[in-house]
Amino acid sequence: MAAIRPQFLALLCALFLTGCPRQALFVVLPNAEGSGVGAITVDDGKKAVTLDHPYKSAELRDDRSAPADVSKSDIFSMFRRAFEARPVLPHRFRLAFKLDSTRLTAASAPVYRALLADIKQHAAYRVDVVGYADTLGSSDYNANLSLLRAVAIRNALVRDGVDPRAVRVTFRGKRDLLVATPDQSPEPRNRRVDVSVR
Amino acid sequence: MQPLRWLIPFLAIGLLAAPAAAQNPEIALVEKASGKVTVLRDGHPLRLRAGDPLYQKDVVETGPDGSVGITFNDNTVFSTGPNSQLALDQFQFDPGTAHGAMLAELRKGTLSVVSGEIPHGSPGAMKIKTPNAVLGVRGTTFAVRVY
Repeated sequence: MAAIRPQFLALLCALFLTGCPRQALFVVLPNAEGSGVGAITVDDGKKAVTLDHPYKSAELRDDRSAPADVSKSDIFSMFRRAFEARPVLPHRFRLAFKLDSTRLTAASAPVYRALLADIKQHAAYRVDVVGYADTLGSSDYNANLSLLRAVAIRNALVRDGVDPRAVRVTFRGKRDLLVATPDQSPEPRNRRVDVSVR
Repeated sequence: MQPLRWLIPFLAIGLLAAPAAAQNPEIALVEKASGKVTVLRDGHPLRLRAGDPLYQKDVVETGPDGSVGITFNDNTVFSTGPNSQLALDQFQFDPGTAHGAMLAELRKGTLSVVSGEIPHGSPGAMKIKTPNAVLGVRGTTFAVRVY
């Protein structure tokens, strides 16, 4: 019996797309850590399919995108190794300081401990430390104060075992206020160091 | 407190100096690597380990037993399973403005993504290509497989 000719298979595939081999699969997943609702758009060059609910999927067959129906258990088994390799998600921490000081407020002590614990969860990490001040005093004075606050956090982290090469320090002085105030206003929420860990 | 004004330029130079060459800045960090994981950089294959930096134009590959997890400067998180090939074609991000752009290409294998700040700061600027389609990312958690 003659073998089925490839042209015939291609025709069948074009007539019944599900007969074509799947080229790619796209799946929206529940958002990690409850961040806002997300969506992706799959564009094959002629048509775009938007997926905007968890477990909605699309596939590509014969270079054409179309909605697909894939079970949760199939999704988890085919992506298991990729999911297992997912890094610890990045987090931000905000530390508040006493007036004209590089010392943390009492309320920020547990935030510092949470920051340190978060960094230690990562096998490898980068830490960005940004110092800020309120508007009481001159720009130069507050630039200096905000830098000293950031350096104080960096030094504490390094003392607690964080790799100094992974920590980057910057300072914003009395620019980029968290709470808008007139100049020369003491404002506890503006006396801060923001730390992001990834 | 007496302002130590003379300290500012001194500290700024020491603390802010970029560790990598400015013309090829680090765009991402390998956080997890298991099994065989390599990067093709300037045509040369190099073994990748946790803690290694990644650069624009790197092509990351995993072997039959390999998987890798990486975190980009905008907090986008990628992880791939075995037998995967991922090209980091383009990545720019300004943490000050949250503006940026990303184009990555999954040539084969599996990729899991949690998007970071680029889709918020620059809507439409995060894209993932597969051999026959382009995926636009509004956010946040999704997965792609190329057969």
